[in-house]
Amino acid sequence: MFRPLSPGRMIWPILAFCAAYALLGLFVTNSYHQLTLTLVPIWAIFGLSWNLLSGMTGLISFGHAAFFGLGAYTVALLFVKLGLTPWLGIPVAGLVGGLSGLLIGLPTFRLRGHYFALAMLAYPLALLNVFLWLGYQEVSLPLVRERGWAFMQFADHRVYIYLALALLLVTMVAMRLVERSRYGMALMAIKQNEAAAEALGIDSRRLKLLTITLSGALAGAIGGFHAVILLVVTPEAVFGMLISAQALTVAMFGGVGTVWGPVIGALVLIPLGETLHAQFGAVLPGIQGVVFGTAIIAVILLAPEGLYWKAHDLLRGRQAPQPEDAPAPRQPSPSGGPARVAPAEDAPLILRAEGISRAFGGVKAVRDVTFSVRQGEILGVIGPNGAGKTTLFNLLNGFVRPDAGRVLLNGQDVTNLPPNRLARLGVGRTFQVVRPFARMSVADNVMSGAQVHAGSIDEARELARGAMRRVGLETMADARAGTLSNLDLRLMELARALAGQPRLLLLDETFAGLGGAEVDQLLPVIRGIAAEGTTVVIIEHTLHAMVRLVDRFVVLDHGAVLAEGLPEEVTGNRAVIEAYLGSKWSAHAGA
Amino acid sequence: MDDIRKMVAPGRRALLAGAATLAGTAAGLGPARAQAPAGGTVKVGLLVPLSGLYARFGQLMRMGAELGVRHVNEQGGVPALGGAKLELLLFDAGDSTEKAKNAAQRMVADHPDLVACSGAYLSSFTLSATEVTERAELPMLTLSYSDLITSRGFRYVFQTSARAGDQAKGALPIMLDLAQQATGKRPETVAILTDNTASSLSFVQPVRDGAAGFGLRIVMDETFTPPLSDATQLIQKVRTARPDMMVMPITVISDVKLLVEKMNEFGLGRGRVPTIGAGIAMAQSDLLQNIRPAQLEGFITVVGNWDAKGQEAMIEEFKRASGEPWMGQNSIATYGDIWIMRDALQKAGRADRRAVAEALRSIDITEGAALYYPGRRVKFDATGLRENAPPVVVQWQNNRPVTVYPRDSATAELFWLKR
Repeated sequence: MFRPLSPGRMIWPILAFCAAYALLGLFVTNSYHQLTLTLVPIWAIFGLSWNLLSGMTGLISFGHAAFFGLGAYTVALLFVKLGLTPWLGIPVAGLVGGLSGLLIGLPTFRLRGHYFALAMLAYPLALLNVFLWLGYQEVSLPLVRERGWAFMQFADHRVYIYLALALLLVTMVAMRLVERSRYGMALMAIKQNEAAAEALGIDSRRLKLLTITLSGALAGAIGGFHAVILLVVTPEAVFGMLISAQALTVAMFGGVGTVWGPVIGALVLIPLGETLHAQFGAVLPGIQGVVFGTAIIAVILLAPEGLYWKAHDLLRGRQAPQPEDAPAPRQPSPSGGPARVAPAEDAPLILRAEGISRAFGGVKAVRDVTFSVRQGEILGVIGPNGAGKTTLFNLLNGFVRPDAGRVLLNGQDVTNLPPNRLARLGVGRTFQVVRPFARMSVADNVMSGAQVHAGSIDEARELARGAMRRVGLETMADARAGTLSNLDLRLMELARALAGQPRLLLLDETFAGLGGAEVDQLLPVIRGIAAEGTTVVIIEHTLHAMVRLVDRFVVLDHGAVLAEGLPEEVTGNRAVIEAYLGSKWSAHAGA
Repeated sequence: MDDIRKMVAPGRRALLAGAATLAGTAAGLGPARAQAPAGGTVKVGLLVPLSGLYARFGQLMRMGAELGVRHVNEQGGVPALGGAKLELLLFDAGDSTEKAKNAAQRMVADHPDLVACSGAYLSSFTLSATEVTERAELPMLTLSYSDLITSRGFRYVFQTSARAGDQAKGALPIMLDLAQQATGKRPETVAILTDNTASSLSFVQPVRDGAAGFGLRIVMDETFTPPLSDATQLIQKVRTARPDMMVMPITVISDVKLLVEKMNEFGLGRGRVPTIGAGIAMAQSDLLQNIRPAQLEGFITVVGNWDAKGQEAMIEEFKRASGEPWMGQNSIATYGDIWIMRDALQKAGRADRRAVAEALRSIDITEGAALYYPGRRVKFDATGLRENAPPVVVQWQNNRPVTVYPRDSATAELFWLKR
């Protein structure tokens, strides 16, 4: 993504693949093999539809058969009841699939993780029974003997191969474009960490709804086309568990999160299944299922991420050791950077919390907290574990709504705004736990943060480049995130937040897990960020690094502000010492 | 004509061999349809589920077909083709309509020399498989009941049993007549107890609609979703309603077990409430592993075909070979299909699928193959439906289901308690 691909380089492998496939189709005369060649693109497209939702956003769907089946029934019923040709029925099936995606997404996106996956499982099973109840056990597409082409019926089965292939070509190109668009980047950001994506300014709910709508439309359309091939639509054949599983199987076998994965999966599994069926079905009935299952298990064990990624890794491995592949030694952090002075006491306020409180059940996590942040300063929020620091951050950038009090950003009340709106207003944030895209380059990871302000993909690239420069990661732009050290991961996380051009940056325990030398490397980077005009609020529970960094402290204990002031004032404060070390030490300090 | 055929025979044989080796690649769309050489073989297909959920039924059909092929070949093959032997090719329809259709595609693509086939057990499998065979102009014989099969304007499908709708419509008047013959009195009240599967619902619909017309009063009407966990309440209601007869189409074997056992427990079994089911769930041999057969005594079910009078020797042989306690509709109908194919080949005089189809359209026989179908006549109407195919009524008597209707097939009298 960061390294731009010319349109040609993006498209031509797809074109080459489709051309080769078309050539193959030309020479296959056995109608059964022609059918297999037609089924491969169908299941590949269905896998791609699943990949768009589940592969790219990480929301696993066990129920894609819902869209597929609705599409199939749309085409079949429109044909049987209204005499509508599948040429028009398939686009309608796409609309129906998209609409059902939206309707299913609206309630189901309230759920996350496994709960979402399980809820999705229910839809096709429910629909299966609805269609049984409606009396559509068997809907047969009428045989049109005259002018069959007008109803998508061809004596030469190769036409079906080419129709399916054309659909696959369009789908693959579209997916490739999506993958490399800002929309695709936003989906990846959601997959990585939905909360972090929100903090980057991504309206995740809207994007997820859009995605399930598109994915449903694609599944519906290809379900409609499949009805033309099946000719008899039954609830089990289009809503069955195996249909949903088919989408997962081809995508996971081939590789999740890439255009080629589902295509490779379908290309291997569909002919394999058919061949096994043909070879063993009548000889040793049932053995085909065993062989098929064993093959899948073997591949999953040997290439857990799918064939595509395995091949990808093997190719990379062969190229090594090439210099640009091994992470280049990081440049020393900008040691001084622009000279920085703490802002004057009368500098304008960028953020003000006024009496904010939040309780979780009986636990008062944050109690009546009031403090201000001046433009350009580095404010440290410290406190022992459980003091309410992270809750305070969540209140400041909208993940949690306060029970009382308000938050002012540049004097404007932003109390109940969702995180993505706050991000757009210039509040950036990092998280305690860094969840990078291990497979993507540092630059691509950083670029996912450039969502908000970039008007175009080029601008996003520019912002990412700038952000990497600010943290000193520019020489590692092409390194894979999975190979980074803990410190570099922290820097990457910083760069990603910076790519969104925040005016106020909330850093959540950025020093966690770093050794002394690493902290020393990180400190000037943060100072540099502040010197370039970004206000920084940083949470830590360890004091030693903070006293060298911050202009001012706010000390929290038991959810309330215990002390506020310059580092030397706070470290000498009896109450602070008592909170950190216990009363014995505070007595000692007082002596 | 015969001479000419003999002259071209060797060439044809070579072609057959070639087609077999090149089957995967060279067959194509406009396959050369081989004629059987004199004394050679003619290929017929059986497309049934041999794996998956329905494999057991596919196996039963396979055993019937294999016996049929053996008998045909032992009795001289196809005389008109110089005594050509039948060769049975098996195709696994699997456990889904898609697999059934793919198997059909494989069948027509890889074996252009097939002349006819039989299948595919489930109506939905038959529907999708015939979409392929129709386009390939390969005649397919089927026992499947669905009304849709012969209502699509197809010319290469031949349905040998009464359609589901006709079975349902016919069952009630037949049962009333049988009851009257047995007891001298017509039943006046009926109870309906059904699961909510499509075939069961379509079976009870004519009863609901037509009961009044037959002077019947519906005293109970209950529908449940299978599988049942307990049948007590339902049977309690039957005991309270005390109907003269009950219509109880059940598709799931575990439900059959629960309902039948509960009826016996409540003293309603052994024909005290004459109970009529639909389909083979209430007569298949698997029941013997689930329920004491004595409990099934008197239960009645309506099917498309069953072990009938005049088939004794063949059935005995089948039972010995297969170890099955009786033959049942799947095996008999498939056995019969092989004989129909043989008769059609004989009539066509050519091992060509179109000629066989044409022969099937005009065939009208009352012996030979006709022995294996209720009504004892094989004649197909313009849609491919066997004309005047009556339903078969089967009743559990002395621990096995026996045919009690139609009369010429019946091996026993209907047993109906007098009140």
